[in-house]
Amino acid sequence: MRKHAVISGTVAALTLLLLVQSHAQQRGQGGGQAAAPQGGGRGQQGVVVGQFGGQPVVQPLQRGADYRDTLNPNDPAMSGPVPRMPDGHPDLTGPWMGGGSDQDMESDGGLKKGELDALLLPWAKAAKAERSKAIYGEPYIYCLPMSVPRVNPYPWKFVMAYTSKGLQQIFLLHETGDAGAHRVVYMDGRKHPVDPLPTWWGHSTGRWEGDTLVIDTMGYNDKFWFDAVGTPHTEKLHTIERWTRLSYGTLINDFTLDDPATFTKPVQMRFVARIVRPGIDLMEYICAENNQIGIAGGYLDKTDASHIGIGGGPAQPDGKK
Amino acid sequence: MRTSLGVLLAGLGVLFLTAPVAAHHGFDTEYDKDKDITGTGVVSKVEWTNPHMHVYIDVTDASGKVTTYNLELTSPNAIQRQGWNKNDLLAGEKVTFKAHAGKVVESRGALDSLVKVSAPKQEIFKGQRPEGPGSN
Repeated sequence: MRKHAVISGTVAALTLLLLVQSHAQQRGQGGGQAAAPQGGGRGQQGVVVGQFGGQPVVQPLQRGADYRDTLNPNDPAMSGPVPRMPDGHPDLTGPWMGGGSDQDMESDGGLKKGELDALLLPWAKAAKAERSKAIYGEPYIYCLPMSVPRVNPYPWKFVMAYTSKGLQQIFLLHETGDAGAHRVVYMDGRKHPVDPLPTWWGHSTGRWEGDTLVIDTMGYNDKFWFDAVGTPHTEKLHTIERWTRLSYGTLINDFTLDDPATFTKPVQMRFVARIVRPGIDLMEYICAENNQIGIAGGYLDKTDASHIGIGGGPAQPDGKK
Repeated sequence: MRTSLGVLLAGLGVLFLTAPVAAHHGFDTEYDKDKDITGTGVVSKVEWTNPHMHVYIDVTDASGKVTTYNLELTSPNAIQRQGWNKNDLLAGEKVTFKAHAGKVVESRGALDSLVKVSAPKQEIFKGQRPEGPGSN
């Protein structure tokens, strides 16, 4: 009994300490500069794991399911050295979790509440308000790609594809097929096509600036949502991702969002990814297999997606389909 | 000492589980987190499918009427990573469940807890609700 009291007291004290730390971090980062990214996402408690670009880099503590399969931010392995490829470039492979938008790009990207919304042009503000009332309009829930810079609570990785000519392409693979089977970043010096047909992932070229991988993408379609709250964009979208592996466990995505048809000016955000724990790798995930979204909420009038033919076919030896 | 540390970590874990998590995959539009459904019945089907796993449970009421509850979990990959596998719950097993009811279709739910009647203290697929409030 007494032991429990001591433990409870310790837990309370530790919690208080973390909360105080977190508030201090937020004050320190936000001070004076309107667009200063906080880097931890969603304003929750976090652990400062280093400094980069004049800002503390914050790894959030547990945040629902998102970080369940990552190293704990306080694990000593997190601060280990950056592994390198034979040509000296940082090994960005991962797999990683986090590092992009998901629930709400504004807070996920370390911005203050209202900061991103304040930059929306009137049509975009109206579009976002409309989407917030039509959550079933989100393409992602129908297994369509999330696109850039979105991530979900599953692992993803860079695949650095070397040929006899060196690093020619980098692929981004997300566990979910709904993220789009793969994204290609051309590292061979080619330019963007002129006036390309807009696509879900656009056209990405990459280059190194020191140890930072810079990915420049244009040619996006306007169909995907940046987050679950429907932050909009147009085909004028142009993104620049600056990926820097700070340590073994932390990967920074300093992200420039540039869409002059949606926002009044380019926006700078910071997302932070975390290395998965040992033994975790991407698994098969065929999203459209048995997607029952919309039925429990009454949006789709179907009794059961497993009765509409998907996965049907001849009876199995045990008589089951 | 080891026990104390375990309890301490568990305590910290509980604290952080209370952090609000916004809707993912439309949890809030699909399910009512304040409307619980409970029941005891027989597992008729376990779907280890994407995007999310489903467990179907037949519950028979006093009049003999059978209702099939379709309970959603998170992705089968996430569930496997927490150490569960296809043998942990099989069709034909008798279980007791608690879930958040579907907003419109009440026989569909987001699984909250599930135990076998034969082992009521051992929660199956613990913490594997669909992404959404308290999904950890």
